[in-house]
Amino acid sequence: MHFPFRRRQFLAAIGATAASPLFAQASGNVVVYTSNNQQAVQSITDVARSKLANLKFNFVTGGSGVLLKRMETEMSAPQADIFWSSSANTLGAFKPLFEPYLSPEAATIPASLAEPGNLWTAANVHLVAAMINRKQLGGNPEPKVWKDLLDARWKDKIIIADPANSSTAYTILWGVKQMLGAQALRQLANNLVVTSASATVLRAVAQGEYGVGLTFESNAYAYVAGGQKEIKLLYPEDGTFSTPEFLVLAKNAPNGAVARRAFDHIISKEVQIALLENAFRRPSRGDIDVSQHAELPNLASVKVFAINETEAAAKRKEFLDEWTAAVAAKT
Amino acid sequence: MGPRHNRVWFWLSALVLALFCVFLLYPLFKVIASSVAASEDGRSGWLILVSDPKYRSAVINTLLLGLTVTVTSTLIGVPLAFFTARFSFPGKALIAILPMTTLIVPEVIAAQTWIMMLGNNGFLTRWLGSYDIEIPSFYGWTGLVTVMTFIYYTYVYIGTLAAIRGFDGQLEEASQSLGVPPGRTLLKVMLPVVTPAVLASAILVFTLVVGNFAVATILGHRVNLLSVLTYQSFVSEVGANPVMQSTLASVSIAIVACVLFLQRWVLSRGRFEIVQGRGTRPVGVGGARAIVLAAVAGIIVAISLLPLVTVVVGTFTRARGPVMRWGEWTTDNLMRALVAAPDPILNTLLFAGVALVLSLVISTLVGFLIVKKRSVLTPAIDYLGALPLALSGTVLGIGLAMSFRGGWLPLAGTAGIIILAYLIRRLPFGVRNASSTLYNIPDSIEDASISLGVPPLQTLFKAVLPLMVPSIAAAAVLVWTTTVAELSASLVVYSAGQETLPIQIFRLIDSNLMAQASAYGLVLLTIILLPILIATTLFKIDVFASR
Repeated sequence: MHFPFRRRQFLAAIGATAASPLFAQASGNVVVYTSNNQQAVQSITDVARSKLANLKFNFVTGGSGVLLKRMETEMSAPQADIFWSSSANTLGAFKPLFEPYLSPEAATIPASLAEPGNLWTAANVHLVAAMINRKQLGGNPEPKVWKDLLDARWKDKIIIADPANSSTAYTILWGVKQMLGAQALRQLANNLVVTSASATVLRAVAQGEYGVGLTFESNAYAYVAGGQKEIKLLYPEDGTFSTPEFLVLAKNAPNGAVARRAFDHIISKEVQIALLENAFRRPSRGDIDVSQHAELPNLASVKVFAINETEAAAKRKEFLDEWTAAVAAKT
Repeated sequence: MGPRHNRVWFWLSALVLALFCVFLLYPLFKVIASSVAASEDGRSGWLILVSDPKYRSAVINTLLLGLTVTVTSTLIGVPLAFFTARFSFPGKALIAILPMTTLIVPEVIAAQTWIMMLGNNGFLTRWLGSYDIEIPSFYGWTGLVTVMTFIYYTYVYIGTLAAIRGFDGQLEEASQSLGVPPGRTLLKVMLPVVTPAVLASAILVFTLVVGNFAVATILGHRVNLLSVLTYQSFVSEVGANPVMQSTLASVSIAIVACVLFLQRWVLSRGRFEIVQGRGTRPVGVGGARAIVLAAVAGIIVAISLLPLVTVVVGTFTRARGPVMRWGEWTTDNLMRALVAAPDPILNTLLFAGVALVLSLVISTLVGFLIVKKRSVLTPAIDYLGALPLALSGTVLGIGLAMSFRGGWLPLAGTAGIIILAYLIRRLPFGVRNASSTLYNIPDSIEDASISLGVPPLQTLFKAVLPLMVPSIAAAAVLVWTTTVAELSASLVVYSAGQETLPIQIFRLIDSNLMAQASAYGLVLLTIILLPILIATTLFKIDVFASR
């Protein structure tokens, strides 16, 4: 009878088919510590499902400060392969945790965004925006410039995350100080309500508890795109801040080789487009036309105040102390 | 029975006790010990607790919330129980669903669905908004009290209902025939008998509110609460000195310990023995009164069932990122949960399945040791077997994470620690169920088997276990439904890639992705409901009898 023989052949064929992708591409698990929300996370996994079928992404989510501190305590036995993503001002304080890596996918990223030692690679560019709930302005005129928000009429009406935990808040407050000075920072601190996590800022404004939230455009824009009509984004006319966010390979990553493959995947063109379309992250790559994929305002129409990231990183402790004092002096 | 047989059981008891010490007492001890250790700046957690207004307000808010919800739950649960026990009115059968709803709707889903109804982008909020009616924010006290009341009032309802049904109607008739008016009779005769049951269930509600994490963290927002701060300290102290998490956990242990002490004191005084227990027949009500009763009861049941409806609607509603497009339908959310990202489903089934099997074996053994093989160790086993009921999931999770990271049993990071957390948290259900069944199985059956020459362990398997099968099946359903819904302990001990359904739902709510959260919620509800339906319809098992 031919049957047993054919069955064996058939099984062998199945085995070969199943095994072949193992040799063709990386397989295994990779652990990513991420400060990004589920929408952004899903952009990565959705593309990976067809492109990297054998690679499983496992995400640990949390604030960037919390996760980086966790990586620091885990240094003797690292758990994370990749950290995604934070600003240079926050990453700068954790350099010993990172492994230099120049990804082949990084070729189209502008040189201005590169870190000289390739300790980190730009994953996307954030714009700072004020998320405004027009129903909750409490009779105040809609703000247009940063100075408007310093007015005492906004006292306790603006929400922001804690700059010690959130690179978003750090970037914003550092920028305000550079642009308007230390006195303006103190005035702003007097109007702000600080929450522990940046996700809360979005929720609080969307749910109408606060009229204004200071955050990154990407997360807030989801509400505009989703059709919540009272939500509006303000890019202050006197200049907003732009900061690239970076992807980092962990030193002694437990899944080293696979981790590099996952790293390449995150900054690949396809994932960057998915991130732009689903999570409104402006790409770091030069080969993607933003206006083709999302209705975000053109960068040329937004005035950006340049901030020195290196200085922001170097003076992190000093600035956080200044900020804590400003909050403590709140009237 | 010869002494040799006794020795087998004694050593088994000792083994069980040792396991309890390692996996329950030791983690608790670790938590309390770490709270008195000094932190980086030399102060102990207790000193920080007292000096920081954030922690002080958390303790006060937690107690206040506990008291408020206890009162509101009692105000709904007791009258509802009274009216269902004493009157029959149209639609009364609906009320029979009540105990089901609290049992099957996981807290995380209840909180989520209330947001989908009354949150700022909720469909009720939007609908009212279209008539220019602005409702106050649902976040904070409003939401906390509302949602917790509608989750916990059934505990008061069930407890009170049982007490009223057990009350002897002849006592009431005697009182009235002696000339006491009906209203006064209720106050003087029925109230004292029912009060201990009401108080006991009210105290249970209080401890549940103090330990509640899911609702507290999703709806609390700016209201500092103990359980939320405990979890947040845990997250920020990973790998560091666990001072604050253990201090805050110790505070909730202390609160619950005080309350349980109070409960013993309440129950020890004023015990009434109902000798005959001939319950009163419900009186038929007609006319306007019937309509009012039916309407009130109907509204309460409808509100309790709203989460189920909302989850189904949310699952099939199109969403663009965080914004729900009510009225536009899609199967995308469900397809994503089932096909594209089914890991949380598989994890839940695997972890809860293993925990269930272990739980049934251990709780049957523990029940057998407590009821049939009493020794000097029995009181300790009995007490420790019920202890997890008093611990919140967050506290238990923190204890386990502290105890089994590295060391001689490095469970942290493996699925083992999640299964362990499940097992310990839900063990009391199984133990209570097994022991109550075993009390009803006469010792003579076992004695007969042994005297016929069957060894004791074989007797257990051949004579006693077959009699327990129906009750083990009921316990299995109960343990299963509560295990797959477990969030607070597993959220503390899980590692990347081990997300269960409640954890995934929780993360999606945190990212404001309600439609996807609903889809996983619907899957979770199916996993919970299916065994209940099969058990009650196919095998005619009364799943809720043991509650």
